[in-house]
Parts: sequence; structure tokens; C-alpha cells
Amino acid sequence: MLTEGQVVVHESLGDEEQRLRRLVLKGPIARTAHAGQFVAIQVQDSSIASFDPLLRRPISIAGISSERDEITLLYRIQGRGTEILARAKCGERLSVMGPLGKGFSLPEKGELWLVAGGIGIFPLYPLAQSALAQGLTVRLFWGGENKSFLESAGLSSWKDLGIPLQLSTLDGSLGQTGLVTEQAQELLEKSTASGGQIRAAACGPKKMMQAVTELFKNYKVSVEVSLEERMGCAVGACLGCVCTLIDEAGVLIHRKVCQDGPVFRGEEVVWDESC
Amino acid sequence: MSPVNLSTQLAGITLRNPILTCSGTYGFGEEYVAYCPLEALGGITLKGITPLPRLGNPVPRLAETPAGLLNAVGLENPGLEEFLKSYLPKVRKLPTAAIANISGFSLEDYVLLARALQKDSGLAALEVNISCPNVKHGGMHFGTDPQSAQEVIAAVKAETDLPVIAKLSPNVTDIVGMAHAVQLGGADALSLINTLLGMHIDINHQRPVLANTFGGLSGPAIRPVAVRMVWQVFQAVDLPIIGMGGITTWQDAVEFMLAGATAVSIGTGNFVNPLAPLEILQGIQDYCEKRGLASVHDLVGLAHRA
Repeated sequence: MLTEGQVVVHESLGDEEQRLRRLVLKGPIARTAHAGQFVAIQVQDSSIASFDPLLRRPISIAGISSERDEITLLYRIQGRGTEILARAKCGERLSVMGPLGKGFSLPEKGELWLVAGGIGIFPLYPLAQSALAQGLTVRLFWGGENKSFLESAGLSSWKDLGIPLQLSTLDGSLGQTGLVTEQAQELLEKSTASGGQIRAAACGPKKMMQAVTELFKNYKVSVEVSLEERMGCAVGACLGCVCTLIDEAGVLIHRKVCQDGPVFRGEEVVWDESC
Repeated sequence: MSPVNLSTQLAGITLRNPILTCSGTYGFGEEYVAYCPLEALGGITLKGITPLPRLGNPVPRLAETPAGLLNAVGLENPGLEEFLKSYLPKVRKLPTAAIANISGFSLEDYVLLARALQKDSGLAALEVNISCPNVKHGGMHFGTDPQSAQEVIAAVKAETDLPVIAKLSPNVTDIVGMAHAVQLGGADALSLINTLLGMHIDINHQRPVLANTFGGLSGPAIRPVAVRMVWQVFQAVDLPIIGMGGITTWQDAVEFMLAGATAVSIGTGNFVNPLAPLEILQGIQDYCEKRGLASVHDLVGLAHRA
């Protein structure tokens, strides 16, 4: 649906150096949104149409409160679009399309392992909440650049969930030094050996999601991944954001990240970008 | 005051109003149903099809530029057979006129497509894309050489009983020459304009943003070029023109009609505002009312009077 979301909170998130923002929008999108879905938000000042930047920005939904009719968007200022979005003031109305795409699915029982790289953590929070509400056991592996990043990007809210957190940073300033996959491997070994029923969901840089998919496959744990691609229409009409999948017959096919995804089964994704 | 007559005659078909959507920006009609009531539109132009299925170009296929969008989708489409089997039955049920768009790599490709798409298919017209800039040898040759353009339109015209609309490329020195050529080929109407060939380089990675290097530029950035071409062709050729290229607001649409467009088509503007076609229609209507024009057709070419 196309709606106007009213800005109720728009603030800096943690250390200003991280350029992270928290935007809470009031509107009906929260009523039907699921973890892993996204919105396409207009970043230009709608009172003075300039059409520059032209396109809406796809941003994943990082918080859903259907009781309060609020969705939370967390984003990093990293280009002209987000730079302009960051100027939106409380009370302002922003044109928002959503909820868009297909989100994560939840297993009926067992464990859900979440694996995040950097700001890929954001869409996983509402997924953790839904999983816990359903009585699943949830565990998070999260890798980031350093301590300042992890703390700015919502570490304390994750701690509040009371789930096991396996953190890693590139510089070792918090948790283990290195990549998330290294941490996951050790536990996978143990848990699968003891017959645990595990499903996983990953979001982060493409290389990380590829590595997670390949690692977990060795232990017969299936992984859902949330892909990212430059989008045009965000509803499946323009074919700007396709990804390549391999179907059951072994044939390469294209699917639209905006409409068929952004969440896909990791095993069906063809990670080589030249396809 | 009596309401403005919105009905639009184009290439022998009657449209509810002069608002269309552009090929490649509106899928096969289903994607925008949740956002824009199709029954309010004059018609939609479907995603371009080729004889065989195509996967198109690798990603990135899109690059945003100032008030513009470069795309290099590369004619990804399900192919003729799958279109007839899986898409056409749904297209027939759409509550608005549907114009098919065909592309080819040879004269035979166009002939094959035209032969398969006739009036009894439920389509309103056939738009012939002789100007895709994103595919090697992808119709561009037909779109830049007047002789080839005339031949391909004549060949299509000979095969189908549907009205034939020639979609012209702006990537030529003499747009009027191209318009004359397709008129000689028997075109019933013209679509002006397709995208302008462009590129964008990422200065951090020091390489082109698009996997295809080049792409077609659309959006408000190209509008003045499109308006100029509609103006020139309107003066020189006696065929109805569907004006397109950067139309995002009703003022843009009025400008195209004043330049000589009988109908207008919204493309990239849908991405910015899915309700753009409706808002544009309302704006045109209000404009005509305020100016005391009985019919939207009275706007066509009005700026040429002075």
C-alpha cells in the first residue's frame, strides 16, 4: 500500500561517528508487516518537488508495533538519499510504500540461529521477537567492525532479549576477533551432533551470507538470506533488481529481489555476480 | 459546465482517456494493481517481448542520476510462447486497453511476433520497439537507420491486423527522418521517445556502475529532449504521437500535449509515485476545465498556433 507515515521519532543511534539513524513512522504498515519485509520511502522533500534524488529508498523494517501502528527503520547515512532522509523532522509526513516483499519464515519448533554482518542486524530484531513469542530457542551471531559499532547498532536491545549472543569484531574490541562464521562453526559441530533441530536466518554482506550458507549446508542446516540489490519500482514491474537462483532441475532462473524476496533460501542463490 | 471529454482516438482505437503507462515500467499489468486502479487508465503498455525467453543483463541494472534513472535490463522477458500461455489470458482480463510491445534482433523476429499477435488476442495495439539501447544488436540498428526502420514496420504491418505503433529512439541525429520512414512503412502511430543512451562511472571503484556499461536514461532529466522531438515530429508527420520521457506531473503531461502528443505515457514516474497516472489525469482535466476546453484533444499541438 501507499501511505503517508508520520515521523514520531528520528534520532541519532549511538556514536555519531557510525552515522546511524532511528526513524519511527506512524501509519497502517505495522498492521500487516512481517520480519524481513521492507518499505520504499520517498526521500525528497515532498513540499518542493525536485525529483532529485528520483527514486524511493528501500529500507528494511527493523521494528513492528501493530498496537501502536508504528514501524521502526534503522539506517546508515551513506549516500545522497539517506543524507536527505536524515533531515526529516518529527511530525513530517513521508510517502511510504509497504510492507513490500517476502520476509523470513519461522520453523514450527526447534532453534533459530540468526547470523548478522554489520547493519544486516536490523531486520533480524523483529524476527527474533516473533521467534521468541512462538517459543523457539533463538541465538545470535553478530559480527561488526568494532565495539563502537555494535553498541551503537542496538547491542543493548539484543541483550534485553535474554538470548545467547556470540559477538565478533574485526579489531577484537568486543567479542572474538574475526568473522561470524568462525564462531558459528564450533557451535554447529556440537549442536548438530546432539541432534538439535536448527534453522538459520542471515543478513549482511553478500560474501558473508554466501559463507554462512556454505558452512551451514555442511551441517544440513538450511539458511534463509536477505538479499540486497539496487531497486527501481520496488513492486516487481521494472526487473531492475533481479537475482539468479538455481531451481530444482538445475536451471538458472531470475527472481525479483523486491517482489519474490528479499528473503530467499540460501541454497538456491547463485552467488557469482556475473550471472 | 459540462465535464471535459477525455476520450482519445489513437491509431483507430478509442481510449478512455489519454493516460498510458510505458513498456518496461509496468510489468504485464499486475504489479501495480494494489497501487493504481487500472480501470482509471487509458491503457497500459506491456513489458517488451522477444520470440525466445531472455534472462537479460547481469546486475547492477540500474543507476540513479540527477532527476534520472539509467537502466540496462536487457529485455528480460518470458518469450512469446510463455507470454501467450501464461500472461496473455490475464492481460485479456485487465480492465483497460493493453498494448503489447515487441522487440527483435532480426526482421524475422519481428515478423514472428507480429504474426502471433492479432486483434483476436484481445490486445488493443502493437508497439514496435525498434530502439532498445541495452542489447547488442538489439533493435537499435532498426531504430537508427531510416531504411531499416521502414522495412521492419512494413513487415510488422503486413503480418498483423492490430494497429502498429512505432517506438522511436532519440539516439539519432534526425528524429523527423525516422518518423517519416516509419510513416512510409505504414505505422499507425508513434511513441516518442525511448531512453537516451548514457552511462555513470563510480569514482570510488573507478568503473562503470552498470554491468552493461551503458544504459538508457529516463526520468525528468530527459523531458526537454522528448518535448522537443514531439514538437518537431508533430510539425512534420501526420501521425498521432504518444508522448513519453520524464512525465511525472500533470504539468509535464500538458506540456507534451501542447507540443503535439495525442496521448501521454508514464514510465519512471510510476516508481516515484504509483498514483502519478491518476493525479496527472485529474490535473489535465482541471486544466482543460479552467481553460474552457471541451475535450482533452483540444490541447493537442496547441502551442504551435503562436
